[in-house]
Amino acid sequence: MKMRSILFALILVCALVRTSRAQVSSEQLDHATRSPQNWLTYSGDYSGRRYSELQQINTANVSRLAPAWVFQSEVAGKFEATPLVIDGVMYFTSPDDHGYAVDARTGRVIWRYDRSLPSRVIACCGRVNRGFAALGDKLFLATLDAHVVALDAKTGSVLWDVEAADYRLGHSFTLAPLVVKDKVIVGISGGEYGIRGFVDAYDTNSGKRAWRFYTVPGTGEAGNETWAGDSWKRGGAPAWITGSYDPDLNLIYWTTGNPSPSDDPSVRKGDNLYSNCVVALDADTGKLRWHFQFTPADAHDWDATEVPVLLDLNIDGKPRKLLAHANRNGFFYLLDRTDGKFLLAKPFAHINWANEVGPDGRPRLLPAATPSKEGTVVCPAAAGATNWMSPTFSPQTGLLYVVTREQCDIFTALPQPFHPGHPYLGSVYYKPVENKPWGALRALDPATGEIKWEFKYVSAPWSGALSTAGGLVFAGDMEGYLIAFDARTGKDLWHFQTGAPIIAGPMSFSLDQKQYVVIASGDAVVAFKLPD
Amino acid sequence: MRERNLRRRSKIIRLLDFMGPFTLALTIILILSIARSAAAQETKNPLAGNAKAAQEGASQFRINCALCHGLHAQGGSRGPDLTRGVWNHGGSDAELFRTITQGVSGTLMPANDISDAETWEIIAYLRSVAPAKLKKAPGDPKTGEKLFFGDANCALCHMVRGKGGRIGPDLSRVGSARSPEYLAAKIRDPNRALAAGLMQPGMEWPLDYQTVTVVTRDGQSITGVLRNEDSFSIQFMDQAENLRLYLKNDLQKVTYEQKTLMPAFGDDILDDAQLRDLVAYLDGLRGEVAQK
Repeated sequence: MKMRSILFALILVCALVRTSRAQVSSEQLDHATRSPQNWLTYSGDYSGRRYSELQQINTANVSRLAPAWVFQSEVAGKFEATPLVIDGVMYFTSPDDHGYAVDARTGRVIWRYDRSLPSRVIACCGRVNRGFAALGDKLFLATLDAHVVALDAKTGSVLWDVEAADYRLGHSFTLAPLVVKDKVIVGISGGEYGIRGFVDAYDTNSGKRAWRFYTVPGTGEAGNETWAGDSWKRGGAPAWITGSYDPDLNLIYWTTGNPSPSDDPSVRKGDNLYSNCVVALDADTGKLRWHFQFTPADAHDWDATEVPVLLDLNIDGKPRKLLAHANRNGFFYLLDRTDGKFLLAKPFAHINWANEVGPDGRPRLLPAATPSKEGTVVCPAAAGATNWMSPTFSPQTGLLYVVTREQCDIFTALPQPFHPGHPYLGSVYYKPVENKPWGALRALDPATGEIKWEFKYVSAPWSGALSTAGGLVFAGDMEGYLIAFDARTGKDLWHFQTGAPIIAGPMSFSLDQKQYVVIASGDAVVAFKLPD
Repeated sequence: MRERNLRRRSKIIRLLDFMGPFTLALTIILILSIARSAAAQETKNPLAGNAKAAQEGASQFRINCALCHGLHAQGGSRGPDLTRGVWNHGGSDAELFRTITQGVSGTLMPANDISDAETWEIIAYLRSVAPAKLKKAPGDPKTGEKLFFGDANCALCHMVRGKGGRIGPDLSRVGSARSPEYLAAKIRDPNRALAAGLMQPGMEWPLDYQTVTVVTRDGQSITGVLRNEDSFSIQFMDQAENLRLYLKNDLQKVTYEQKTLMPAFGDDILDDAQLRDLVAYLDGLRGEVAQK
C-alpha cells in the first residue's frame, strides 16, 4: 500500500513537471518590459532600449546602494556578458563560453556548463561572450568555435549543438543570440579575417538552420556589383552584435561590421554592401527588406556595431516608427524603421573625416582621411566614437544615452595578402602621442541629435548603459566604477569601485520586492540592492 | 596501479640514497648543461637570411609587436628599440625565440601565441634591421656618470641601480632600450615625441609621466607626476617624492600639462661634448644589478 502511494506520488510529480508552463513564452518576449522583475533578452526587450521599469532604486535613495553579492567565475578574460534573470534564476556566460545558472538572491551556483574550446579559436579581441538568449525552458549560446548551442535552463544539459561555420577560417561568435518566435538568431564575427559575414536563424527545437542572410551578396545578387572583382568572397561584413526586433512590422534589425580588409578599400573598390549597414530582415524568412549603409567603402574599421534602438516619436508633427543609432563613425543617425528612410545625422563626437551626411544619407568626405604609408590622423579612432557597448533610451526622459569614445588614431597603410584564418586588415593604427583618449556618457535628444548633457570619463569607455524608471542611468568606466547618474541632469549620484575595468552592460531585476542592479566586472558578476 | 607507482618511487629513493646528494647534484648540473648547450646549438632560425621571410616578418611584427616596439622596431612608449643589436635577454636565435614566445618575467614583454613559422619570420625581420655588431656610442662614460650624478643633476629625478630620484623613469636599463641618438634628442628636447606605441582595440594606457597640478580646497597648489587617476580620485607624486592621494571632490582644480617636468638641456647648460659623454654613460646602462 505504502509502495503504491509513493509510486502514485512520483507519477503525479512527473505529470506536474510535464505540464509546467514554459519559463519564457514568445508573448512574454514581445512585451518584456511588462515583467520588469525579469530581464529576458540581452537588451532587456526587443527594442534595444536597455530600460527597466523598476523604480525602487531612484534618484532619492541611490546614494545608499550597496553590494548584495559577488559571483567570482575564476575565468580570466574580458567579462562582457549581460545576465538574464527569469523568475529568480540568473543566467550568464563567462569568457571561454562557460555558462552559469545562479540563485539571483545569493549568487550561488545552480549549474555550470563547461565549454571545451579548441586551443586556438580565432577571435580578434578576446575569448569573450556576451550572454544567453532564452525561450521556454531553453537557453541559447553562440560560441567562439562558431557553434550554436541549446541548453536545458533547469540543468544546463546540452539539448543540441550545431556548427554554423568553420572556426579555423576565422569565424566565431561572441554575441548573445536573439530569440524571435520559434527561431534563435545569431550573427557571425570575423571581419578581421576576411570571412564572408552572415546572420543565421536556427529552429529553437531542432537546431536546424531555418535561414541564412549573407551580409555580402554573392554573384548575381543585388549589391554584388559594389565589390571589385571577387573581393566579395572575403568581404567581411560580420554581424557581431545582437539586433533588435519589431513584432508589429515582423522585422529584425541587425547591424553589420567592416568590409575586409578593414582599412584598405583599394582592393575592394565600391560601396561594399552590406558592410557597415543596418539591415532589416523578415523575421520568418531572413529576406532583406531594406538596408542603410552608414560608412560606404570604409577605410577605418568602423563597424556599425551598436544595438539599434527602436523608438516612436513625433517628427514634424507626425508619429513615426524610428530607429536610432549612434555609429562608430561619429554620427548619430535617425531612420524610419518601416522603410529605412534617412531622416537625420549629426556628429556626437569629434570627427575629422567628413563634413556632414548629405540628404542622400552618404557622408561628405573630407580629403586626406585615407590611411597612408606615412600615417594619417583620423578621428574617431579605429575603435570608433562608440562601439558595441549598449546605449540606453529612457521613455521617462525621452533621452538616448550614448557611451562615447573621444580618440584619434594614426592609420598607416599596410597592404596585406589574404591567408584564410589570418588577420586581414590592410593597415595598422596607433595612437598619436599628443592625443590622450578620453570618453563621455552623452545624453542625446534623439529627435535632433542635440547633446543635452555629458559626464566625462578619464579614459575611453567600453561599458554599456542602463536607464531605469527610477530616473537613473547606470554605466561603468575603465577605471572600474559603476556609476549612477541622474538621467535628467547627468549628475553622478553614486559610484562603486568594482576593482576591474567594466566591459559589459548593466541590467536590473527584482526579487522578494527588492530591486537589484547587476554588472559584470573583472572575473565577477556584482549585484547591488538597497540595504534592508 | 597505484601500488605499482609507489613501488617504483621507492626504487628511485633507494637509488638516491646510493648516489648521495653531492653526486646527484653534479649529475643534474651535467645533464642540464648538456641539454642547454645542445638546445642553443641546435635551434637556428630555419629562415635565416631569407629576404622574403624577413618581409613577411615585417608584417607579422606590425601586427604582433609594433604596439609596444614601434612601427619600425625603433622602440615605442613601452618597448625597447630592437634595431640596435642589443639583446638584453639573449641574442641567439633560440633566445630570441624564447623571448618572443615565452615573454620576460618582470617586464611588460608578454608571451605571444604565434606559430613557430611566424616567430622565425619575425626573427628574420629583426636580424634584417639590426646590425650584427653594436656600435659603441662616442664619448667618455666615466665623465658622463659624473655629470649624471653631479653637475647635470639628472639623479635628482632619475634612478640608476638604486641611486637617484623617483620622479622620472628609472634609467638602469635605458642603454638597451634606446639608441644614443634618441637619448641625445630627448635630453635636448624632452617634450619631443620620439617613440610611438601602437594602439589595439580595447587597450588603452595613460600617458607616462604626465605632469599634473592640483589646487586643494585651502588654496595650496601642488605639481607632480601622475601615477593614476579616475573620475573620482587622483594619485600622483609631488616633486619632493611624496605620494599625493586625493578625492577630486576635495580639490578646487586639476590641471594637466601635455609636457614633462623634465627641463630641456640646451647647449648653454650641457655642451655637445658633455652631452656625448652623458649619452655614452647612459648607453652603457644595460640593467646590471647593483654591485655591493
